Amino acid sequence: MNPSDSEFNKKLLETFRIEAEEHIHTVTNGLIELEKSPSPEKCTQLIEATFREVHSLKGAARSVNLREFELVCQPLETIFSRLKLKEITSEAKLFNLLHRVMDFLTELLSTLEEKRTTAQKSAQKELIAQLGFFSKIDSNAVIAQETKPDPDSILLPDSYEEPETEDLKPKLKETISGQTVRIPVSKLDSLLFQAEELIQTKVTTQQLVADLREIKNALESYILSSRQWKSRQNAAKSSQNDEMIHWHETHLDRLHAGIVTVSQAAEQDFRVMRRIVDDHLESMKQILMLPAASLTGTFPKIVRDLSQQQGKEIELVISGDDIEIDRRILEELKDPLVHLMRNCTDHGIEKPDRRKELNKPASGKITIAFATNENRQVEISIFDDGAGMDVNQIRDLAIKRGTISPEAAKKLDPGEILALVFQSGFTTSPIITDISGRGLGLAIVSEKVEKLGGRVSIESKPQAGTTFRLILPISLATFRGVLVRVGELLFAIPTANVVRTLRVKPEAIKTVENRETIRYDDKILSLVQLREVLGLPETTTSAKSIVNSVAMQSTLVVLATGDSQIAFVVDEVLDELQILVKSLGKQLSRVRNISGATILGSGKVVAVLNVHDLMKSALQFASISKHRDSEKVPKSSLKVLVAEDSITSRSLLKSILESAGFLVTTAVDGADAFAQLRAGEFDLLVSDVDMPRLSGFELTAKIRADKKMGELPVVLVTALESRDDRERGADVGANAYIVKGSFDQSNLLEVISKLI
Amino acid sequence: MTGKKKPQIAIRKESELEILHARAQALAKEPEKAVPASELLEIIVFSLGGENYGIESVFVREVYPLRDFTPLPGVPSFVLGIINVRGQILSIVNLKIFFGLPEKGLGQLNKMIILHDECMEFGILADEIIGTKVILQKAIQTSVPTITGIGATYLKGVTSEHLIILDGKRILADKTIIIHQEAE
Repeated sequence: MNPSDSEFNKKLLETFRIEAEEHIHTVTNGLIELEKSPSPEKCTQLIEATFREVHSLKGAARSVNLREFELVCQPLETIFSRLKLKEITSEAKLFNLLHRVMDFLTELLSTLEEKRTTAQKSAQKELIAQLGFFSKIDSNAVIAQETKPDPDSILLPDSYEEPETEDLKPKLKETISGQTVRIPVSKLDSLLFQAEELIQTKVTTQQLVADLREIKNALESYILSSRQWKSRQNAAKSSQNDEMIHWHETHLDRLHAGIVTVSQAAEQDFRVMRRIVDDHLESMKQILMLPAASLTGTFPKIVRDLSQQQGKEIELVISGDDIEIDRRILEELKDPLVHLMRNCTDHGIEKPDRRKELNKPASGKITIAFATNENRQVEISIFDDGAGMDVNQIRDLAIKRGTISPEAAKKLDPGEILALVFQSGFTTSPIITDISGRGLGLAIVSEKVEKLGGRVSIESKPQAGTTFRLILPISLATFRGVLVRVGELLFAIPTANVVRTLRVKPEAIKTVENRETIRYDDKILSLVQLREVLGLPETTTSAKSIVNSVAMQSTLVVLATGDSQIAFVVDEVLDELQILVKSLGKQLSRVRNISGATILGSGKVVAVLNVHDLMKSALQFASISKHRDSEKVPKSSLKVLVAEDSITSRSLLKSILESAGFLVTTAVDGADAFAQLRAGEFDLLVSDVDMPRLSGFELTAKIRADKKMGELPVVLVTALESRDDRERGADVGANAYIVKGSFDQSNLLEVISKLI
Repeated sequence: MTGKKKPQIAIRKESELEILHARAQALAKEPEKAVPASELLEIIVFSLGGENYGIESVFVREVYPLRDFTPLPGVPSFVLGIINVRGQILSIVNLKIFFGLPEKGLGQLNKMIILHDECMEFGILADEIIGTKVILQKAIQTSVPTITGIGATYLKGVTSEHLIILDGKRILADKTIIIHQEAE
């Protein structure tokens, strides 16, 4: 077979797989409906529909030459045709067999291109044999089928009362499918990805437009002051340079007019682009919205299998699953929902005899209801009419497990105690799962839901049942972040987790049980330093800002996940903006407290904080911290300027000097350093030699020539090792010369200590 | 063939003869490219902490100047931080620290070599990019007892010119270089 043939075959098989999945799914659901023993008319309809599906499945299998599929489908078809003719009755044994057959076909489907295992072969043989038992009770069946009148024609007169809509359904489906195309999800995902990437372009362009406006303003103020200067000059005397000035003015005006035009055009284009990008992203999101039914489709089967295993009778009722939800949210929801259903069947619904004792119907009921609310959120409630949870029992167990102290437990209301089952510590204990049964993995459910920007709550009445309520966004909103500064680093915090930002006076911070707290909105919140939680070193700059904030005010960001809130101290809150969160790259698979990174309009990369982690880290921190701040005082107020063009070396020098207690400022080259030295006062300069624009030698020479800063101690750090260079360093007036090759922290500090 | 070898159009007989002779010699020579490509390695040579290293160019996506980076809190010190490479976020590894080499000297460290294969991608710091080179697979001595510093695990070997060849595949596949921290 040539490659294109096998490629073609592969495509055919893939198409078949998708088609077959749908058929199998419909058959399975038909079987579950049939098991509920519906009214005779409904029953006939269902059998007819399911029969057709099996027939189509067989046909599809034949068209791609999948003999083994066909072999199973054939007797299956016969059974349905006999069911239709009422030659056999639907009994539990038959349903179990049919479900097994469907499971087997699903398995076959997932391994289409692999060789059959012996287990699969024998399973197939056995299933076909069993199907044969139902399909070939007497060999006259086929003749009977042909001689018997068509059951539809008999039924027709009776069914005229049925509402018209029932008949309309298949028609409606046809028209819809005529306007639908099937597109692989991967293609759509990459389109969505591109649409999201456009946010980045939007952010960058916005920055460019702002920069352009800045240039325009600068030019305008330049023109204005130059005109003012000219009029003053003119008042004094008429200059012969008039011509020259006039020439300048003409050029300036032309330049100004040009920039104004470009700036306006850019601004307009940006507005158009912003609208298109936003609309485009919104449409892309719409495309990726799927009805909740696409998720719940398999649930009846799951509940059926679970209840069979447990010897329970359970009816699953799903409502509102036509609501459309972002596919990415639906995908993430599958596990939590399956988990909750398992919880309901395992631990909620009682066995039939126990239910009878309690005067409940023998068959239990699980209801999954989807509903939207006004905030573009979907509320999913999973209710079971089972045993419910005992608040007292949970409280006792939580105390016993040390999840909560007895005193704290007293303060909690029943709702808060129920919420304890979502705590991760609660789930791992076998004692708790043995007695209450609940709790297993519920922490994972709540974490997943919160990750999606939702929340989960629980209500329960002993003997009456339990309701889990999940509230989630319908689509993943464009991400917004609050930009904060800690020391010199910027971080973005998801706006969704920020309750508010506020500034407080030092008196407002109270120490309770060795922890700093703050009262906000009638609640007492723990207060932690974001810098400490992130494990950032206390640099002199941040120490300085703490001193400032003690003198004046602290800037706080109150963050929340679920029901808990903690106030984090930051140095500054800068902005609130739309951001595109990107992954940290393959090497950083998961970094504690950080969920990703974003690129600001300026091109600067900023880490996005993971609030879930942060809250956990903060809790740990609050319990161990708070007994060392009195000793930490900035050791020195000596100011050092570091001039170095390599970013890595610059950061290294800076951190060495800062941890030694100096106040450090940095410059990216010699010219920058000279400008900074002129603008501010410094006690020492540490400079690289080989730098663009102005080398370390030239810089030193310039300093020595300057009247004001001529005496400034200069330490040159260089890769150049020759004697000539050393001498040149001395010639221009450097006080010390450190060769990079032998550089280490101690020799730098030693040299500095000799100079100041 | 390089331009240098190409003869000028000559008129004089003597020089013509000379040229023909030279051509004959050149043709008679065993062709140098007799070595199959599979035995050759194209490597990128860079300096780091005063030593020269080579890494196979198949693992190098590109060399990128390091002008700015964003440090991340709470990561091991061999992770310098993250950088924006034309809209993509990449992490930067300081191999010197990762290999546990002594933290002596102050390099330029303003170049980044982006390493990649199908499963992994990150940048490594370099002081200077020296160039590319083609070497014989055979010319790499794999068992050199006196390699100081780097654990032999990450080395392919050393060439006769004392160029240390890093094992790009190993480094990219190394589990300990991947940061995966769960919440506390």
